[in-house]
Amino acid sequence: MSDLVVADLVAGYGDARVLHGVSFTVREGEVCAILGPNGAGKTTLLRALSGVVRVRGTVTLGGTTLAGRSPDTIARHGVAHVPEGRGTFMPLTVEENLRLGAYVRRGGAEVEEDLGRIYTYFPVLKTRLKQAAGSLSGGEQQMLALGRALMLRPRLLLLDEPSLGLAPLVTRELFRIVQAINAEERTTVVVVEQNAHLALGIAQQAHVLETGRIVLSGTAAEIRADEQVAQSYLGYRV
Amino acid sequence: MAGFVQQVVEGLGAGAIYASLALALVLIYQFTGIVNFAQGELAMFSTYIAWQCVAAGLPFWLALVLTLAVSFAGGMLIERVIIRPVEGAPELTIVIVTVGLFIFVNAAAGWIWTFLIKDFPNPFPGGALEAAGVSVSFSTLGVLGVVAAVMGLLYLLFQHTKIGLGMRAVATNPASARLVGIRVGRTLALGWGLAATVGAVSGVLVAPLLFLEPNMMGGVLIYAFAAATLGGFDSPLGAVAGGLIVGVAETLAGAYVGVIGSDLKVGVPLVIILGVLLLRPQGLFGRAVVERA
Repeated sequence: MSDLVVADLVAGYGDARVLHGVSFTVREGEVCAILGPNGAGKTTLLRALSGVVRVRGTVTLGGTTLAGRSPDTIARHGVAHVPEGRGTFMPLTVEENLRLGAYVRRGGAEVEEDLGRIYTYFPVLKTRLKQAAGSLSGGEQQMLALGRALMLRPRLLLLDEPSLGLAPLVTRELFRIVQAINAEERTTVVVVEQNAHLALGIAQQAHVLETGRIVLSGTAAEIRADEQVAQSYLGYRV
Repeated sequence: MAGFVQQVVEGLGAGAIYASLALALVLIYQFTGIVNFAQGELAMFSTYIAWQCVAAGLPFWLALVLTLAVSFAGGMLIERVIIRPVEGAPELTIVIVTVGLFIFVNAAAGWIWTFLIKDFPNPFPGGALEAAGVSVSFSTLGVLGVVAAVMGLLYLLFQHTKIGLGMRAVATNPASARLVGIRVGRTLALGWGLAATVGAVSGVLVAPLLFLEPNMMGGVLIYAFAAATLGGFDSPLGAVAGGLIVGVAETLAGAYVGVIGSDLKVGVPLVIILGVLLLRPQGLFGRAVVERA
């Protein structure tokens, strides 16, 4: 089993602590949504999981300790992080961006095969292979970022606000693809999202983060039914 | 006419040397955003190592291979020991560190090998190729050939190898490179090693034409700065083109513009730097970054 286990996670920037002891578990192959207002620490949580910020506490994936390791080592353990701002290598071509996603993998044939798979998920990328990634639209760049992450064949996929700045139609398409990937490849996903509707639509479990602490946890259905959440994040009363 | 062509050929020969040092400058700038003022001194130090090997009785080409290897290791070491601690510091801090490195390497070379000039062997045969009244020395041809080969190898490395792709990724977006699993620290050290190696080639090419002494690369560095500025600090191809243009411009100005002559031609790179910064700050081949948000 390669469950993600997070326990008593403390993280921050310099002296400013952002996460004050966060604990949760994501079972292998499940999608976990992290909801919460701006400044709750959602992005920091993902950064803590991928090693971009220093942490105290426990993070393990399938029993392997990730806490305290560097981002490149954590990536080598199969964690793909699509960061805020998408992390595109702007002047490089679309194809080079995708190949970089598989940088730590060996086995050329498998990588070629996976490139083909990415093109079936995102046909638009195939038409722009030799184009500089910086010239893509926001939606295309988000697809590229997701494609790059998938090229790692990740055990754990971390998505930071995939809907940010995208048209509703593009966002829905993106979430549909994330769901398909999760279903077909059993990739564990942690998604941070402002759009609670969409996130709860594909998640099994959800946690609400407020000022660095988890204030509510449950199945996606339970969270959706919670009146407090409905008022704060879904914009309606149940 | 033959006289003019002759001047252009001389200019290309000189320009190829500026190009090779400019290439080293551009390599480090691309990776780290650092303008390495010590690049010329490192090249000079490498050249002394080559001289020492030859003086110890090694055949020239073996000495060269050894020198390139030592330069590569030295470049990596400098990144690890001197540059790493100031990584992410303000630009001014890093500039001062490289200026300090300049002074240190210069003094170290003087201390080890004294400031007396030394004769450096020319690896290329004497004599020249003559055609239509223009004579091209084998030495000039050799310099052009070597610089073309270095350029070709770097192109292959960056465009057609996985490690080259990783290096370009680090140059563009180090944070994102780390997230795909690239060891960024090691890659930066590799970039410094590579630049030191290219610089060593430049030193070995220039030494037979001038004399080997600790201040040998001072002038060349100025020309290399002009070349990199002209070509664009983020473009290796631009660095080479810039070097050749600077070399030709300097030679022609010295030969044909009476007031400039051979005394004032060192002013040419200054004029080029100023002109480029005013008219086209990104350089001829540099990218003025255009991105969609």
